[in-house]
Amino acid sequence: MDLTHSSHTHKESFITKYIFSTDHKMIAKQFMITGFTMGFIGIIMSVLFRLQLGWPGEKFLINELLLGSWANGGVIAPDKYLALVTMHGTIMVFFMLTAGLSGTFSNLLIPLQIGARDMASGFMNMLSYWIFFVSCIVMLVSLGVEGGAASAGWTIYPPLSALPEAIPGSGLGMTLWLISMALFITSSLIGSLNYIVTIINLRTKGMTFSRLPLTIWSFLVTAILGVLSFPVLLSAVLLLVFDRSFGTSFYLSDIFIGGQALERFGGSPILFEHLFWFLGHPEVYIVLLPSLGITSEIVSTMSRKPIFGYKFMVGSILAIGGLSFIVWGHHMFVTGMNPFLGAVFTITTLLIAIPSAIKVFNYLTTLWRGNIIFSPAMLFSIGLISTFITGGLTGLILGDATLDINVHDTYFVVGHFHIVMGLSAVFGTFAGVYHWFPKMFGKMMNNTWGQVHFWITIVTAYGVFFPMHFLGLAGVPRRYYTNSSFPMFDDFINLNEIISIFAILAFLGQLIFLFNFLYSIYKGKKASQNPWNSNTLEWTTPVEHIHGNWPNDIPEVHRWPYDYNKPGYEEFIPQNVPLKKGETDSGAH
Amino acid sequence: MEHQLTYSTSFEENKKAHEPLLWIGLVSIIMFFAGLTSAVIVSSTSATWQLFSLPSSFLNSSIAIVLSSVTYQAGYVFLKKQQQSIAILLFAITLTLSLLFVYFQYAGLSNLYQQGIFATGSQSTTSSSYFYILTVLHIAHLFFGLISLLYVSIKTMLNKYNNNNYLGVKISLTYWHFLGILWVYLYVFLSVMMSK
Amino acid sequence: MLLLSAFAFILILFLVTFIYLKGGEFKEMFKVDPDDLTFNEQENKTQGWLFAAFGIAFFLFIVFLMLKWGGSILPEAASVHGEEYDSLMLITGIIIVTVFIITHVLLFLFVYKYAFNKNRKPAFFTHNLKLEILWTALPSMVLVLLISVGLYNWNSIMKPLGDKDDKVLIELYAKQFDWTARYAGADGKLGRASVHLINGGNFLGIDTTDVVAFDDKIVKNEFHIPVNKPVQFVFRAQDVMHSAFMPHFRAQMNCVPGLKTQFNFTPKYTTQEMRRITKNPDFDYMLLCNKICGTAHFAMKMKIVVESEEDFNTWLASNQSFKQ
Repeated sequence: MDLTHSSHTHKESFITKYIFSTDHKMIAKQFMITGFTMGFIGIIMSVLFRLQLGWPGEKFLINELLLGSWANGGVIAPDKYLALVTMHGTIMVFFMLTAGLSGTFSNLLIPLQIGARDMASGFMNMLSYWIFFVSCIVMLVSLGVEGGAASAGWTIYPPLSALPEAIPGSGLGMTLWLISMALFITSSLIGSLNYIVTIINLRTKGMTFSRLPLTIWSFLVTAILGVLSFPVLLSAVLLLVFDRSFGTSFYLSDIFIGGQALERFGGSPILFEHLFWFLGHPEVYIVLLPSLGITSEIVSTMSRKPIFGYKFMVGSILAIGGLSFIVWGHHMFVTGMNPFLGAVFTITTLLIAIPSAIKVFNYLTTLWRGNIIFSPAMLFSIGLISTFITGGLTGLILGDATLDINVHDTYFVVGHFHIVMGLSAVFGTFAGVYHWFPKMFGKMMNNTWGQVHFWITIVTAYGVFFPMHFLGLAGVPRRYYTNSSFPMFDDFINLNEIISIFAILAFLGQLIFLFNFLYSIYKGKKASQNPWNSNTLEWTTPVEHIHGNWPNDIPEVHRWPYDYNKPGYEEFIPQNVPLKKGETDSGAH
Repeated sequence: MEHQLTYSTSFEENKKAHEPLLWIGLVSIIMFFAGLTSAVIVSSTSATWQLFSLPSSFLNSSIAIVLSSVTYQAGYVFLKKQQQSIAILLFAITLTLSLLFVYFQYAGLSNLYQQGIFATGSQSTTSSSYFYILTVLHIAHLFFGLISLLYVSIKTMLNKYNNNNYLGVKISLTYWHFLGILWVYLYVFLSVMMSK
Repeated sequence: MLLLSAFAFILILFLVTFIYLKGGEFKEMFKVDPDDLTFNEQENKTQGWLFAAFGIAFFLFIVFLMLKWGGSILPEAASVHGEEYDSLMLITGIIIVTVFIITHVLLFLFVYKYAFNKNRKPAFFTHNLKLEILWTALPSMVLVLLISVGLYNWNSIMKPLGDKDDKVLIELYAKQFDWTARYAGADGKLGRASVHLINGGNFLGIDTTDVVAFDDKIVKNEFHIPVNKPVQFVFRAQDVMHSAFMPHFRAQMNCVPGLKTQFNFTPKYTTQEMRRITKNPDFDYMLLCNKICGTAHFAMKMKIVVESEEDFNTWLASNQSFKQ
């Protein structure tokens, strides 16, 4: 196969190449840059409110510098603290970890790994990115409006989010939040449609479902979750818009605020919670699954050993995806829901532990007797296994209706989901960037700085989130501006300082990544075609990007993607290498 | 490395994915309405849930949209038989029926309005708000169906459909059937949940 | 606030130009070759060592946290159902810690032990049905245990008290940003109330025509409950969602506008007894708001006093009825 082919003569103007590109590789980069920029803003916000939590009431020049009127005199105002928390959550969950992660790697890897020229619809793919871009802009603009940005928590429970009288952020800020979210959902839906159809219809010859890399399986299930759950969030958002702006009462009933009783009857805030969490819980896996897929791929490649239990891995992805639709009630154990329903949701929720345990043990067995190469991607993948275990285990407490009573909405929850979903997803993202950077930019990222970045990140991340479990067990509620009204929490003043210091260090650690990333784009070492000696199809494309991915025919697939150190054969055997005489496909059993 | 390169695909190949693209899109629209209609069920347990009688206009509109599905399907059959003129006629009837549908929906809603059953405001109830919103959202989806119907009709008139490139018509037709089924579902559902 | 995003953009722009212009000078910093697989085996080993060291440090960190702050978590439960809660938490905790230690020891051990060695031939181990069934079955069995104990407790905790049970009936009323308690009074019943009836002094919206309401007693700032007697709470919210959180009693329930929710528990220790148990003479039970409810969410609280039934009756009698 001729892969030395470099100067593809495909005339493209700057605009069609870099701005309104329909090429999935360029769209992946656009998603990455936009998503990471949003993530960067989100993480700065967290540092700012950690300053307030670590040293309540202390004046910080940086607050005034960055937040302006939100922090007159250098101390964040209480309602603006809530705005920061809300926007941090929204930006990280949706913009960084949904669009930034799934948008980047689904776009980059789906056509490349299944052997397709491009997505099913390049135009829709482009549309998906640009709608996402507009939704980012709207969300950022909402930071600057009168009353401040949305401040009702990222879960925007009404009536707090519905009534501007309740909190200033529920005015124009909330309206823009809802507009931005409606756009985001549209973008996400269009993207997901494309991913599913591409995976189902455009696989190259021989790429059967049992030969799909685990990355693709996870992207597929993620996209299916998106298609099924985001429309429901859209319906929830729509009804909230009507309640806010047109005087309906879907979520509102018997409310007295601003000196008068509202003429709203028959609604229920609990309805919103049901609709929201019907999306909200699958959303957790929309964030997490791509990372698990990326990690599966990297752990196998960098251990130079097949992934253990491929079919159980696929099965557990499907099981997690399926279960995620019948567990949403565990966010609502203390809303006064019918105790019988609470019992049902406890059972379904705890069942998720089974596929999760399978994944963990399979990762461990994959590492066992491997030959591990600690590329930065591998380091982050191992970090993910650790955070997935740590955060997953505390889920046994939160998923149990009884135990949830006393840790619900405390720092225990904050610690839990930041570790299991936040850190795991972020680690998966970093792993993916380090691993596929050569594919995206044709350059290598620096190894040493990658290692430094990893060690700073894992140490500081655990330093931030692990102690939060103790705060939670002491009953410290989340979303408190300060704990100083409660002498019973005074023991934790020092601990909060420690957490904040770790948070600042964690942020500084990310600057190393940013630097390494940008430096490597311009000055990185040129990558070879298959730098990690990997088996998947994306490494059979030329280093230089061309429209259509393969200069000649698309390779045909003959085997599963995990033939590393197969006894009696080469060290690694890419998927497009035909089976030798008498050889059986190791994935087919 | 030895490779067997026998399988060649071009970008044209991606077109075969357009139909599944529609199907999965329909799934997400179904989920959207499923979210809203389950919200109706939850809200209907409230003590203040009000029942009202649906104007007969909505039955007329239901008949109109079901008929339009039949005529569109027939038009497609004739188009495939290369009988453009009959197809055009049937498409025109489909268009008329769909406009009739929109008219009946409008008449039904204004009838409700005259009865004092409002969409919003302090005199509205949750049940009436749901009714208006679901009806209007269906019409919003119908709007895209109308555009595709017009597109198909114009292309037929310009004689652009010849040998086997009926994919666009098929997609438009599937969507049209979906709109009909969606409305029939909504009509039955809303009658059960809201009418006296 | 737009400044923040502007700042982020500018920082990134700055870095881009800086690296682009001055990139050469950083070559020195980046001289380690990030080459394909022709890497430094010794350096790779170091990463394995670091993982082992990190594993140990991680465990030490957890031990340190436990020693320093383990004592600051909530004291033993002050309610009857809280005992079951605490023992379930203990069982779950032991399981979690055991699994955590086993998996992490294995993880860091494998990572350390199987760092690249050019003489090692990795195992080609694709699947093993027995092993996989084993670790499907093991967690399943543990879960059956946890679920059955958990559900048994859940059903007994959530069961409301019957009308005839001897109990104290209290309505907790949440609004931005304080709590009000209303006692049922001598008739043991709470009068009708609705936010639509709020006016002036009648800030709970009590129906002034309802005879049952006349002996209701409204208290602010702190409320008292008797020890060893079931207390039935009913919750109402006026404006947005709140959550009544009484961590020492292992009790929490959301307060939802337009909806009445309820929770009940039996206090086990008086405030005085708890002061002895915690060795803290200033200890007080607290009711916190635990659902984001607006600007002063963090300061929305009410003191709870648990005392003997006699003291409680005396205290209650000293409070005025709604209409005398």
